[in-house]
Amino acid sequence: MSSFNPYTQNGGTILAIAGADFSVVAGDTRQSEGYNIQTRYAPKVFRLTDRAVLAVNGFAADGNMFVKKVKQRLEWYRHAHAKDMPLRSIARLIQTMLYSRRFFPYYVYNILGGIEEDGSGAVYSFDPVGSYERETCRAAGPAQSLLQPFLDNQIYFKNQQPAPGMSHPTHLPLQAVLALVIDSFTSATERHIEVGDGLEMYIILGKGRGLQGLEGVKGVQELTISEDGERIFVVRRELKKD
Amino acid sequence: MEYNGGSVIAMVGKDCVAIASDLRFGNQALGIASNFQRIFPVTDRTYVGLAGLGTDVTTLRERFRYRVNMYTIKEERDIEPQTFAHLVSSTLYEHRFGPYFVEPVIAGLENTSSGSKPFIAAADLIGCLNFAKDFVVAGTASSKLYGLAEGLWEPDLGPEDLFETISQTLLNGVDRDAFSGWGAVVHVITKDRVVTRTLKGRMD
Amino acid sequence: METSFALTGKGYVIIAADTTAARSIVKMKVDEDKIKELGTHLLMAYSGEPGDTVQFAEYVERNIRLYQIRNLYPLRPPAAASWIRRSLAQSLRSRNPYSVNLLLGGYDQAENKPNLYWIDYLGSVVEVPFAAHGYGSYFALSLLDRYHDPEAPLEEGLATLKRCLDEVAKRLVVSPSKYMVKVVDKDGVREVEI
Repeated sequence: MSSFNPYTQNGGTILAIAGADFSVVAGDTRQSEGYNIQTRYAPKVFRLTDRAVLAVNGFAADGNMFVKKVKQRLEWYRHAHAKDMPLRSIARLIQTMLYSRRFFPYYVYNILGGIEEDGSGAVYSFDPVGSYERETCRAAGPAQSLLQPFLDNQIYFKNQQPAPGMSHPTHLPLQAVLALVIDSFTSATERHIEVGDGLEMYIILGKGRGLQGLEGVKGVQELTISEDGERIFVVRRELKKD
Repeated sequence: MEYNGGSVIAMVGKDCVAIASDLRFGNQALGIASNFQRIFPVTDRTYVGLAGLGTDVTTLRERFRYRVNMYTIKEERDIEPQTFAHLVSSTLYEHRFGPYFVEPVIAGLENTSSGSKPFIAAADLIGCLNFAKDFVVAGTASSKLYGLAEGLWEPDLGPEDLFETISQTLLNGVDRDAFSGWGAVVHVITKDRVVTRTLKGRMD
Repeated sequence: METSFALTGKGYVIIAADTTAARSIVKMKVDEDKIKELGTHLLMAYSGEPGDTVQFAEYVERNIRLYQIRNLYPLRPPAAASWIRRSLAQSLRSRNPYSVNLLLGGYDQAENKPNLYWIDYLGSVVEVPFAAHGYGSYFALSLLDRYHDPEAPLEEGLATLKRCLDEVAKRLVVSPSKYMVKVVDKDGVREVEI
């Protein structure tokens, strides 16, 4: 008998893009094992605080457990300090939590998105053992190879020359980012069997920065109660079925 | 396929087609040359790109040249891209159980009663043809090229827009692939001419 | 370990190959010439499986000579490269393939320019401005990227080659002790001391 393998891959793909004062974290909702679809709705993106959202991808059981433990640590922090943990601190917390399992890792790629204390949009990406980096955009999961070069081109403007006297923007407006996220997942759904069913996009807006056109987005739903602080919205879409 | 590296892509536009590839020739991780042409003219409006093992790229190019020349002599006319695609397929399938390690991509303009029609096709290493209506990819960066092309390509692009689309697709695709890159070449085929451009790319 | 280098310059190709013939960990011979003179203006450095190398090199040498006898003119470097490539590609899918890697350098007397071909045992051919085979390639190619000049006079080309040989001597654990260096230009082939 072959020895017990504690890991499996559950497909799906996640993606996050940071704007100047907002952050978008997205993931599809299909969960599969091999050619078998286990469910068409298994969220991979989770709201941690009013300004932090975590997307997890890889081994779903580990992902869910890891999110649970992060949430627990954040609650303890709230009880101890009477405030939410800042984003960069959550990032460092995730690193130590992942590295503490260096020799029996959570088989999960994490992407953390949200708003920093200075009000800027941020994305942190992690490997399963806690190496991390703050970036403007990141895709992870089986369709990473399809999406990341597309983001290089459309977000970082790689291989594109700005018009004479012009320069490329360092951050894109929210509307443009949402359009790119939807296009990215449409592409990945078209060409990758593990991506599909539903798309969940979490949008984290900086404090007092207005809705930036989000009010016009179909099916947008606010998750935060107060309009005073950072605000989190979610947009759910069906992905193409053919 | 990863032994020498390299990638090819072809796209359909409005009354035009484009085919492009990188120029790297490597020995696994070691880059040997940045001038390896893997796209070859078949007729003056049909091109074939061969991604895969370097020696088989050259061997097949020679075999295709021979068989196309024989066809041209016997038929006293140029071979049509679709016919050529089947020639490629049967040549590869002859070696079903000891294949050439090559994924061919064909791009050309078909002759029709009302002028010409864009044609692209790709095959796997044993000759299974894929007649796509939009774009085809092959080689070590194929997954990246799929993701980009799916996002950038749109129907009915004119020759200049098609050139930009295929170039951006290829360049950004090979930049995320360790086995492809080191410059690129793009051919845009229209009914009265073929425009060939060599692109600079990242050299890392 | 077996190592060979080649580079082109203004009207010439330089080819260098180590001169050791080794079996396992033992150096059997330290003055082996592994660069064949295939014609008046054609050089071929060979390396690979002992036995195959000399056998294949002589096979090439005799066939290139035969062509010259039959046609009264020699094969030009691109044609020779194609013929050798085909021989290797056919051999690759035979019952007992040759494992021989080659550097083919020649001076094309019709076009008055140097040609250099990197050829491996699979039958892959690339025309290159400079090339290397063996462990030395991991050291030499980066140097050649930096210092090679296709318009350099012979002295400068030899100096660039010397850089490669010195780097290999310095950094490669199993570095060869001696090299044979040959040049081909409009006046034909000759050996040079380095």
